[in-house]
Amino acid sequence: MNDHYILKKDHLNSLLRRLMKEYRLVAPTKNPHGDTLFSIIDSIEQAHIDLASQPQGSIKPFLFPQQEVLFDYEHSATIDYHFEHTPDSIPTAFFGVRSCDLSAVLYMDVIFSQKKRDPYYFEKRNEAIIISLACNEPFANCFCNATKTGPFLEYGFDLQLTDLNDRFMVETGRAKGCEIVKRFQHFFEPVEERDSKAQYQAFLEARSHFKQQVHVEQAIKRLAREPIPEEIWESLSLRCQDCGGCAYLCPTCTCFTITDLATSASSGRRIRSWDACTFSGFTRMAGGHNPINSRTHSIKQRFLHKLKYDVQEHGRPSCVGCGRCVGICFGGVDIIRFINKACGQN
Amino acid sequence: MKGNNENIYLPYPARIVRIVEENNQIKTFSLTFTDPLRNESFEYSPGQFMMVSIPNYGEAPISIASSPSRPGSLEVSVRKAGALTTAMHAMNEGEILALRGPYGKPFPMKSLEGRDLLFVAGGIGLAPLRSVINFCLDKKKDFGSITLLYGSRSPEDVAFQSDIKCWQEEESMECLLTVDTTGPGWLGNIGVVTTLLGRITPNFARTSALVCGPSLMIRFVLAELSRMGFSDENIITTLERHMKCGVGICRHCYMDNTLVCVDGPVFSLAQLRIMQDTELC
Repeated sequence: MNDHYILKKDHLNSLLRRLMKEYRLVAPTKNPHGDTLFSIIDSIEQAHIDLASQPQGSIKPFLFPQQEVLFDYEHSATIDYHFEHTPDSIPTAFFGVRSCDLSAVLYMDVIFSQKKRDPYYFEKRNEAIIISLACNEPFANCFCNATKTGPFLEYGFDLQLTDLNDRFMVETGRAKGCEIVKRFQHFFEPVEERDSKAQYQAFLEARSHFKQQVHVEQAIKRLAREPIPEEIWESLSLRCQDCGGCAYLCPTCTCFTITDLATSASSGRRIRSWDACTFSGFTRMAGGHNPINSRTHSIKQRFLHKLKYDVQEHGRPSCVGCGRCVGICFGGVDIIRFINKACGQN
Repeated sequence: MKGNNENIYLPYPARIVRIVEENNQIKTFSLTFTDPLRNESFEYSPGQFMMVSIPNYGEAPISIASSPSRPGSLEVSVRKAGALTTAMHAMNEGEILALRGPYGKPFPMKSLEGRDLLFVAGGIGLAPLRSVINFCLDKKKDFGSITLLYGSRSPEDVAFQSDIKCWQEEESMECLLTVDTTGPGWLGNIGVVTTLLGRITPNFARTSALVCGPSLMIRFVLAELSRMGFSDENIITTLERHMKCGVGICRHCYMDNTLVCVDGPVFSLAQLRIMQDTELC
């Protein structure tokens, strides 16, 4: 059972300042261009923390960066190779993480440990504290109600906050969250009955405010039962411009490539970068042969991986309903479009 | 060398102790880790692959061509195809490259015990099967008769000639070679490798077929073996794919819901049919 507390909004900045003494603070901030993005906060006063907009990206880049050095190498005088990995593990507190994005982190926890433990992901993840914010007001393209990854969560967070106007309801989840409440207990007040009622009311209202009706369950059932007509794949792949935007913004897309960056004839860095299964070269082998030869197949892989293969493997889809691919894709090859088509709607 | 046993991406340096030029496109490299302790503890099974890299040239999956029954060095046969393999072909004995692995599901050697084995290979595809063949020859009493059908483009493309010479001297083994286009002095069969299938009379109940080569060849051989009377479970192949991690995370080697690096690279035709692989069956 999660413990509940009240944090007055007036106390939020003081709490964050205390956390900043021990952690790098990452929160959604509005930049001068009007974009809300997760960024590192140097000063609470100067940063414009924005909890009202949907962050354009998730916290994926902080745990699984778009580009990261796996190791430096050097061909030494003794004619041997030297491989050196310098761990990058800054203790980080993520504040204002939405339920969908936290669910995506829980998915990445599995992906980066299930077959083999990925040390680069976990050196960052193990140093992370996640303070999530339940969504009282779903954004335009959100459908986490249909993927069962929001708008409120019951587990997975260290702390979950619910906005109750002048105060936050704070729930402790994992041990690190309990630890924060214990250490900074003067910020947290006991919950009264009206707070619990207000949270439940917020939860009910949030559930009724989704603008998108997306039939995720129905699509999953159909995909498990029968193949999707080729015309659907064709019409979607015709409109895909191979930009990779969907995969880059998707909080659960974790495909990557590894390349060497030479810094001299005898030294360099092996680098891991984000990749996307929709890219035409994703499966191409040395010499040019590509076993996945049709354009429709990569689109198929993208959607079936999320809504069929991951359901088979993990018992749930790996789409968290954040709706970001809906906003980014100028060809309209987003997951809502696919789900609608798979369910026989156009 | 500074190593971290838990970091799956860190490779280990290995020295090239011998290079055999199999033909003008394929070389076999015998390798030993520079760390003697690693050589002692290194274990693998026929059908597994290594991630081979040369810093500054990248990394690629290469199947192991040697047999664990012949310890001492690890052998990989490499066809010049891209930047990394071209760089490997320019290397000399004594030089160092980097290895991590072994990875992938091996051939089911235990369940092949007691059975006759039919190997069908094309070009560089003989490399992973060479590991199995030598393994079985070293444990003759555990396996039945061995037949190899090997196809090459032309007489000068016939690779692994010293191996084939040894195999031809084995009583329990039969080797039939074929070339797509003949050349001076060629006395063997002419035609694609499936033409050799007509010249053998396997006992289907007690024979397993192991197939490797270019995908088009695999496709035709699988279909022909199936037509001849082999059951799907007794037709086994090993696949080549673009891979980056080798351990089931990066997903470059996907085939629908399977990942060739961890679910394969060895698959039976029965498995390929479930996967609805359109390239091979």
